Amino acid sequence: MSPIAADTTTTWLTLSAMVLPFAAFLIIFFLSRPRVAISLAVSLICSAIPLLVAWWLLLHNHGMRAPMVFQVLWMTGGQVAVTFGFLLDPLSLVMLVIVTSISFLVQVYSLGYMAGDPGMAKYYSFLSLFAWSMIGLVVASNLMQLYIFWELVGLSSYLLIGFWHHKFSASQAGKKAFVMTRLGDLGFFLGIIVLLLNLGDLSIIGLNSQAAAKLSPALLTTSAVLVFCGVVGKSAQFPLLTWLPDAMEGPTPVSALLHSATMVAAGVYLVSRLYPMYSASPDALAVILAIGTITMLLASTMAMVARDIKQVWAYSTVSQLGFMLMGLGAGSYFAGVFHLTTHAAFKALLFLCSGVFIHHFATNDFFAMSKMGARSLRIPMVCITIAGAALAGIFPLAGFFSKETIMGALAELDQGVWLWAGLLGAFLTAYYSFRLLFVMWLPKESHAPQAEASADAKDQAHAAHDEHGHSSGGYWAMASALIVLACFTIALGLFDKKLIDFLHWGSPPSLPHHTWLLVTAVAAVLIGVALAWLEFGRKASAQQGFLSRLPALETLFAQRWYLDALYRRLTDYVVYGVFSRLFTMNDRRVVDGAIDGVCRGTVGTGWLLSFLQSGLLQYNLFIMVLIIAMIGLYFLLL
Amino acid sequence: MDSLNTYLFIALLLFCLGLFGLLQRRSLIGMLISVELMLNAANINFLAFNRFLSPDPATGQIMALFVMGIAAAEAAIALSLILALFRRMRSIDIEKARELKG
Amino acid sequence: MDFPFLSAIMLAPGAGVLVILFLPPESNRAVRWVSLISAGISLALTLYIFIAYDAAAGGLQFVERSLWVKSLGIYYFLAVDGISLPLVLLTSIVFFTGVWTMWDLKDRGKEFFALMLLMVLGVYGVFMALDLFFLFVFYDVSLFPMYPLIAIWGSTRKEYGALKLTLYLLAGSALVLPGILYVYFQSGVFSFDLFEIARAGLPPAVQSFGFLLFLFGFGVLAGLWPFHTWSPVGHVAAPTAVSMIHAGVLMKLGAYGVLRVGMTLCPQGLMEWSPLMATLATVGIVYGAFVGLAQTDLKYVIGYSSVSHMGLVSLGLATGTLGGVDGAVFQMFAHGVMTALFFSTVGHIYGQTHTKLIPELGGMAKVMPRASFFFILAALAGIGVPCLASFWAELLVFINGFQVYPLLGIAAVLGLVVSALFMLRVVQRTFYGEKNQKFAATPDMSLVMVLPRAMLAGTILLFGLLPRLMLDTIQTGVAPLVELFK
Repeated sequence: MSPIAADTTTTWLTLSAMVLPFAAFLIIFFLSRPRVAISLAVSLICSAIPLLVAWWLLLHNHGMRAPMVFQVLWMTGGQVAVTFGFLLDPLSLVMLVIVTSISFLVQVYSLGYMAGDPGMAKYYSFLSLFAWSMIGLVVASNLMQLYIFWELVGLSSYLLIGFWHHKFSASQAGKKAFVMTRLGDLGFFLGIIVLLLNLGDLSIIGLNSQAAAKLSPALLTTSAVLVFCGVVGKSAQFPLLTWLPDAMEGPTPVSALLHSATMVAAGVYLVSRLYPMYSASPDALAVILAIGTITMLLASTMAMVARDIKQVWAYSTVSQLGFMLMGLGAGSYFAGVFHLTTHAAFKALLFLCSGVFIHHFATNDFFAMSKMGARSLRIPMVCITIAGAALAGIFPLAGFFSKETIMGALAELDQGVWLWAGLLGAFLTAYYSFRLLFVMWLPKESHAPQAEASADAKDQAHAAHDEHGHSSGGYWAMASALIVLACFTIALGLFDKKLIDFLHWGSPPSLPHHTWLLVTAVAAVLIGVALAWLEFGRKASAQQGFLSRLPALETLFAQRWYLDALYRRLTDYVVYGVFSRLFTMNDRRVVDGAIDGVCRGTVGTGWLLSFLQSGLLQYNLFIMVLIIAMIGLYFLLL
Repeated sequence: MDSLNTYLFIALLLFCLGLFGLLQRRSLIGMLISVELMLNAANINFLAFNRFLSPDPATGQIMALFVMGIAAAEAAIALSLILALFRRMRSIDIEKARELKG
Repeated sequence: MDFPFLSAIMLAPGAGVLVILFLPPESNRAVRWVSLISAGISLALTLYIFIAYDAAAGGLQFVERSLWVKSLGIYYFLAVDGISLPLVLLTSIVFFTGVWTMWDLKDRGKEFFALMLLMVLGVYGVFMALDLFFLFVFYDVSLFPMYPLIAIWGSTRKEYGALKLTLYLLAGSALVLPGILYVYFQSGVFSFDLFEIARAGLPPAVQSFGFLLFLFGFGVLAGLWPFHTWSPVGHVAAPTAVSMIHAGVLMKLGAYGVLRVGMTLCPQGLMEWSPLMATLATVGIVYGAFVGLAQTDLKYVIGYSSVSHMGLVSLGLATGTLGGVDGAVFQMFAHGVMTALFFSTVGHIYGQTHTKLIPELGGMAKVMPRASFFFILAALAGIGVPCLASFWAELLVFINGFQVYPLLGIAAVLGLVVSALFMLRVVQRTFYGEKNQKFAATPDMSLVMVLPRAMLAGTILLFGLLPRLMLDTIQTGVAPLVELFK
């Protein structure tokens, strides 16, 4: 359908939503950093307004039949034209609501979590920077604009992960995140260039409508796969997945906002945005499906052995993103988007609950937490259970419905292996989520292994400070965010009909529903829960997984399938050892050596020639005579 | 036998001997003598041209006398230079005069 | 144009030199103020002409042309167009902030500022002069003061660095002068006026050989690989303001020379040698990034990052497309400001801690937050983060580079990742981590000294957010030039 120009109210509202967070960042970072209260107020206001705008836009346009566009030419150079503006269609409205809601809730939550941190104002400025970049990405009307905000999101992530930069591990994690996502972005950028040079038009609407028609299949697949490289980086898919667990070095609200609900979902969002283009290339979809599946399974195994609460949810995020990509790759636009929406709610909730525990107990190890009496904190425990159950896919929580949709899409495929993979993933997901839940609910006194000191040092200092003046205000700031998200987690499942209707412009495709599939999926989940109960929940259990009897496998999973080691080796040996060292030596010995050699040669020639100046009169005379004789000969022969 | 070329050849020979001596001799006096030889070779050239080519018999003879006079003057100066050098170096070996070495 | 703006801009430092020479040697304060005022005059006038330049009309504006030597055809011809105007602006900004940065210089300030003003006069002259003779004269005027400036006031290996830099660059100019004379004699117009020669046209063989001379002659100054090794050594050895001008402006002289002299006069030469130029440029981009990874001295890191970024400029020029050359000129501006900010900040750090070695620094963010902020901003600009000026430049260069030379384009884009790696590594090791105990008591930048760095940072942000302010002007200058390359 052809876009219509946005009306004035919509334009002004959307532009204000796009610009206000940036204004907040500038104000807080450059002006009001010493005055924390003002900074907080500015940030919250500039976060609340986009939230209201997003909800208003969604509700106002719930029956929209054509996308709304507004754009302004921002830069032009040769054939490159970058526009700044927005494209409002069902997908971007839904995503905008998700982003602004979770952003606002996280900001409220951080009032309690980061209270007392000396860099609190700077933290809020970075959150505003992130909000600005993410909103700009979501409503981007043009792939180049999307890329620009994609990079800015990466920058915000770097700044926020390494927020406590006096800790070496935090700055290391930030750097790793940035470099790995950059690697993916290389492919993305090349894809953009290919599309630009072949199509000339990078607007989202243009790409979706024309790419399939105008590009040859090979070119279409190439550019689609290249763009997907960016997704692999940003959404932490295989093989660029190890940055996400490390990104847990950042404050927990950051993990909730960026690394579960919004930023990493940007990759999935990108695929959904360009879905008409992707669905025209079956090879690209196959690639997406394959990578999504591998990632989902790999990450689930890693989550099974993790002892750090944030790491479990981090691996889970990677795994669930893979699951979303499986849905998209299987051909169902709605499946991927629906799961993205529900996942944003319950994953953010999981992280925020974990944050409360971390804040309270000064450790990330959930075994230790549970022994210290985690289950006495009622609200977080209830919320984390709701969220964990949603993740596992328990009826009637939101996660159940979105999982079913993806399973349905997988069942439609010709090869059954994908569906089996999906079922296996569901089983593993249920297992690791309930493992954590059972440990938290039912601490064992004696047989539990020693808690590892996997504590986040800054979180420790944080909690220590907190013990002194734990204001109930701070607690309620955090708790209110949890309650709101929990409500969403419960309620979202009921909106699937409305959502699919909205996303497909009022004429949704009929979703396949197979009873045998439903039964099988539910069975997989229940088996996972049962296994977790057996190993972690029962009174007599040792709270040790079956994997501890297979130490080789356990180590493999705990070491992230040695991917990290591989990357470390690659960086150290190939990048530093080979290229860097080679080029440096080349510079010093060969290039510089050549220049210094020329100099030495010049000096040497001078030294040689100085022998002519022997001081002996007769040598000079001889040369004079020689030259005169030569001149004489010259004139003689002429 | 009695042609211009003979005399020119003799003069050339004498000149080359003088040149060789100039370049090869170590002793300053030896070099001076060689220079005199070269001058006399030029003299012979003048006289030869005077006899065979010149319309006016006086020209070549006047040139020869001039050359002899100049040679005498030059010898005087050269000898005083050699004396001065000898006072510095205590030797008339030209290989000792190397202070302008580069 | 009645008031000779360009001559005024150029002669303000000249007047400054004269005044300084007559000041007594101990009067450091007066010397500094005279320098700052003359820099301020130049900056004010430059801002005026930048805003007053009519982008819609384009072409040469603020022209001053008069006959200088009739028998040889030399003209005193100054003008600016879309290509040189940003560079004049760059010079003014870096000059002004450079003088301010060196405010605390105690040792022989009179000679230092006199030489610096002389150097800047030369630089202005190169950017404004459109007569080959004057261009070359000013080029050499800007080179000579580098030697005493580095050899006397420099730091690490200053005599070696100064000698190497000066001799290397003179060797480059030794290729340029024959090129100029060759073109002069072959053109048939017997005029050194650049545009007259361009209009007359040169035979293809002359263009081919002439372009080579100009490419390598000016390319040395532009840091074209493999003739780049003078640059890191020189950067490290030079005192702060000299590094700022050297990396920020001087290297752009080379690229500008290739563009203005080489590409305008010998377009067919460009088309013939463009693959070679693009290859060398791409090697420079990737090479500079990898070598930067291995460095332990802050200034060496920045020096090699300059080599990498100037490679981008050369790549953009080599494409010969509108977008590519646009991007190259914009990158010249953006990189100049960014690198000036780098050196300015490192100068402060060195001045306070007396070390530039990364292993000795570390955790400086807690010790000097203001200096850290500027350095990190410059590092982000170097990586090509959007909202900072170099992003747009890199975008244009990469797109056009890939269009003309796909394989080289892919290799160059790889440089993006490596540069991110080494920049962030430097930032992490120098500024992040536990608070540095050794330097815990060193003072941060005072507010007065923050201002020049803030000017530079503000420029990067301004043109990063609103690139059209600069790009539209550049495009008017580049568009007629690119027509020659069809």
